[in-house]
Formats: sequence, C-alpha cells, structure tokens
Amino acid sequence: MSEQYKKQAEYNEYLWDGSGEPDAEIQCLEQALEEFRATSLVPPAFPRVDFGPRLSYWWLAIASNTWVPRFAAAILVLAAFTSALVFSLRESTPPRSNNGWSVELTEAQPDSSGMGDKPKRKIQMQIGEVLETNRTSTANIAVADIGRLELEPMTRLRLLQSTAGRKRIALDRGTIHVAIWAPPGEFVVDTPSSVVVDLGCMYTLNIEESGNGFLRTTLGWVGFQSNGYESFIPAGAAAATYAESGPGLPFFEDASQQFRSAVAQFDSTKAGSAQRGAAEQVILRQARLRDGLTLWHLLSRVSEVDRRAVYERLSALIPPPVGTTREGILRLDRSMLDSWWNALELGDIGLWRHWERSWTGHEAQQK
Amino acid sequence: MEAVSLRNAAMQSRLDFRSRVLEHLLVTESQVGLPDSDATFVRAAQRGDTEAFGQLYRRYARMVHGILLGRVRHVEVEDLVQEVFLRALPRVRELRDASRFGSWLAAIARNLAIDYYRRSQTRPGRTDDAFDPDEQPAKSNLSSSGDAVEILDCIRILPEAYRETLILRLVEGMTGPEISARTGLSPGSVRVNLHRGMHQLRRKLAHRELRNVSNSKNRTMV
Repeated sequence: MSEQYKKQAEYNEYLWDGSGEPDAEIQCLEQALEEFRATSLVPPAFPRVDFGPRLSYWWLAIASNTWVPRFAAAILVLAAFTSALVFSLRESTPPRSNNGWSVELTEAQPDSSGMGDKPKRKIQMQIGEVLETNRTSTANIAVADIGRLELEPMTRLRLLQSTAGRKRIALDRGTIHVAIWAPPGEFVVDTPSSVVVDLGCMYTLNIEESGNGFLRTTLGWVGFQSNGYESFIPAGAAAATYAESGPGLPFFEDASQQFRSAVAQFDSTKAGSAQRGAAEQVILRQARLRDGLTLWHLLSRVSEVDRRAVYERLSALIPPPVGTTREGILRLDRSMLDSWWNALELGDIGLWRHWERSWTGHEAQQK
Repeated sequence: MEAVSLRNAAMQSRLDFRSRVLEHLLVTESQVGLPDSDATFVRAAQRGDTEAFGQLYRRYARMVHGILLGRVRHVEVEDLVQEVFLRALPRVRELRDASRFGSWLAAIARNLAIDYYRRSQTRPGRTDDAFDPDEQPAKSNLSSSGDAVEILDCIRILPEAYRETLILRLVEGMTGPEISARTGLSPGSVRVNLHRGMHQLRRKLAHRELRNVSNSKNRTMV
C-alpha cells in the first residue's frame, strides 16, 4: 500500500508516457481494456467533396492583384504610425503589463437603501500594486484565467506574481473568498503568519490586524505552511493560523463544541503547558472517525511521549496502512505519515509534495 | 575468412542500427504526430484532397474512438468513428486554424455521441442500449470479459475530462504527450486529468471490489 501511494505521489511517469518504472496496476488495467481498443485505423473510401472554386470571391480577386495589397499595406502603416503619434502625445498613463488582473470595484451608495444597482468601476491591477477596499466597497478580481477572488470590505491585498505557472498574492488583512480551477499549487496566498496553497478548491480566508487568521474550505482542499508546520484543510474543515506559531490544527466544523474549543486552546497555548495537555486529552477523547484529520496533524505537534497516545487513538479510528510501522510514525517518518494521510482519503498528499518541491526551487531562485 | 566475418558483422550491426532509427522515426511519427504535417494534411483536405483526409483519419481515429467509447456502447463505436469523419469532411473547409483540427474533431465526436444518445432515447421500443454518462452505465458488451466491462463502466462514470483522458491512455494506449498533441489540451491539464482520474478510478474499483465481496458473502449465506 505504501508503495502504491509513493508512486501516486510522484506523478506516476509510467501513467504519463509509459516511461519510468512500470506500474503493475496500470499494466493490468491496460491489458484488461485492450479488447476495447480501436481495431481498424484504415480509412473508409471518403466521397469526393466539391468545395467549389476558392478564389471566386470578388475581394479575393482584388487581393490577387499585387498592387492593391501593397497600397493597402502602405495606408495601414501610415495609419498605425499616425495613431501611435497621437497616443504618445496624449497625457501619458502608467505603463501596463499584460500580467495584470482585472478588478471590478463595487461601491455602496452612502445613502443607499440596498436597492438598485451599486456603482461599479473596472480597473487593472498590476504586479506590485495594492488593492484596498474601504468600509463600503467590495471587489471582484479575475485571477488571470484560473479563477476568481472576492474581497470583502476593509481588505488589503497585494499582487506579487502572475506568471504562467504561479499566481501569488499577499493578504495583509481582511477577508477573501477564493475559487480556483487551475492545477493544484498554482495559486498561493502569503499571509503574515503562513503561506496558503490552493490544491484545487474554493475557500474563505480571513486575516486580522494582529496577523492571526482563519481559513474555511468549501470545496477541494487547501494547504497551510509556515515554520516547518503544515496543515491540510479539506472541504468542510477549517483551521486557524497564528502570527507567532503559524498554522493551527485543522478540524471539521461539524465536530462537537468541546472538541473545537479544545483545538483552539491547543493552538493558542504554549507547548508543555498544563492547559495544552488538558486540551490534548479532550481532543483524543472526543475524536470521531473523521476527526482523524485533526489527530493526524496532532502527531507532529506533540512531544514524543504524548505522540504514543495520539498514535493509539488514531490507529483505533483509521488503521495505519500496510508498510507503516508504529516506530516509523513515532519518529515522524515522512513517507509513512504521507501514507497514513492518504488512507484518510481527504486528498492525495502527492499533490502537496509536488508543490513543495517546486516551491522550494522557486524560493531558492528568489534568494 | 575472419576478416570477412568481421566485416559482415559490422555491416549487420549498421543495418540493425539503421532499422532501429527508422523504426523509432516511424513510431514517433505515428504516435506523437507532427503538428506541422497535420496542418499540411488539413490544408490539403480543405482543397478537397480525400487522400490527405485519409491520413488525418489514420492519425485521429484512435482519439475519436476513445472519446466515443466513453459515451456510447462499445459495439456501436467503430461505425460512429466513421460517421464522425464523414460529418467532418464537408465542414473541414470551415476550419480556419488548421492547427486546431484535433479539438475541432473532438467536439464533433462529442456532439455525435449526444445525438446518438438522443436518437436512441426517442427510438420506439427503445431498450436501454445507450450509455448515459449521468446514469449508472448498462453492461454494454456481453462478449467482453466481465472484468474489462466492470473497469470500463467505472471509467465511464468519472467526470468527463478524466474519463476521456483515461480512456485514451488506458484503452487506446496513447501517451500523455500524444493525448495533448491530439486533443489540443495543454500537457499540464492532461497530466492532472490522468493523475486525478486514476486516483478516482482506484477508489471506484476498490469500492466495487468490496461490494462484490459482500454480495458473494451474502450469496453464500443464502
């Protein structure tokens, strides 16, 4: 089982182009399905189609005269030159790159009753620019051609990067609603306390003035990363992020009130404190099957002694997959932890590892 | 005597190398296709050259077959492949960008599959022959082995993007780069579709396996 997930995690090259180490499961599928393959690639006798003469149009006849197109081209060049001259003499506007995002700002009327159309303004947002909404305005951003962002009032964000494989913004404060349909890992949000990576999803992210924040996933899943901690938040789950300590434990929002309070207490108290220990006990006691999500994250955030209890509880809910050992998990072996994550069936961690490798390369390049 | 045999061996080795190179070129040409030569054939077909259109058939029949197989009964697919090309032939002149032939042809195939499905629904005395991607698919080919039909059924209920890409890869034996070149999808999209589709297929197959095991247990108890 662990081999299977490792293969998945590395974007199986055999699946891609038949190269690399053959995947026995895919080979099996290929053999089984071969009987459905197209058997005959010999074309039938296609009837002759009379398309009629192509140069029968009057404008083509004119175009075939070599002097007319030359004359037309000369006029076009002259017109282009004149327009360029006129535009360059007009009041200059800031240069625009084609990497900008189009923004639709909506301002509420000061005396509006909430009825009727609100005035809208369209602008183009360029790399390095800041977009800020006030108490009465909201904004809608088309994220290149990969998704949409909605900004609530009192939100401030900066556009850091917009290239073919990566779109990156910084959210300084406020709330954004994100819907992205690009391949996982392409859209990244920097917050004061962590980096938020889209893994194919819709989510809402709120950042307070203090730098603390909260993320709630509606569809797909999202990755949080900071200070060597990672948190994965699947649909229906949420997680806090803290300016001092980075991403908190993710939890399903339908968990009991006690469980959620314990998660918040665990995140906001210091390691080794009595409050944290008590919170940990409540989390272990109250965890349901799907709260394996929280327990899996808890494994890497507690001391080695406490980790044993977390291991026992998680393995009672979701047995560790074949190839995963107790000792390996207790020493936080990454490939075993990854296998166990995949067994939770909340998203393929291979996507995250793929992103992580590209991100590390990107960060190194930036430095 | 020894010199002669050495010379013969050297000549044989050169011939082997040459045949390997030729074989490689043929495989590359037939599997990946060269967009430029596709465009040349498309332009020739637009001038009424049916030979050139035949070449396009050889290159794209597998893709069309795969797209149709994801939507209609296996036994109908071969006929429908020809129908797709017969539909495309008189309209190929309307295609402005010759390099988009693959995606244009794929759209025709998808539309034909929809037409086929509608026709079979309105046909009097219709039995549930046609495959509706939104429903659980009917067992389509009784002559096929049970496992293969089960697997194909599982692929057919995947979302469209995953379904097509997986069928082209697993059934038609096309590689990712070839799927990208033929369908006009970006290599990145094909890669993601293959990966996610395979992930979903694994889950569906595992689910079916569990169900079959529990059914067989029930039968034993009865």
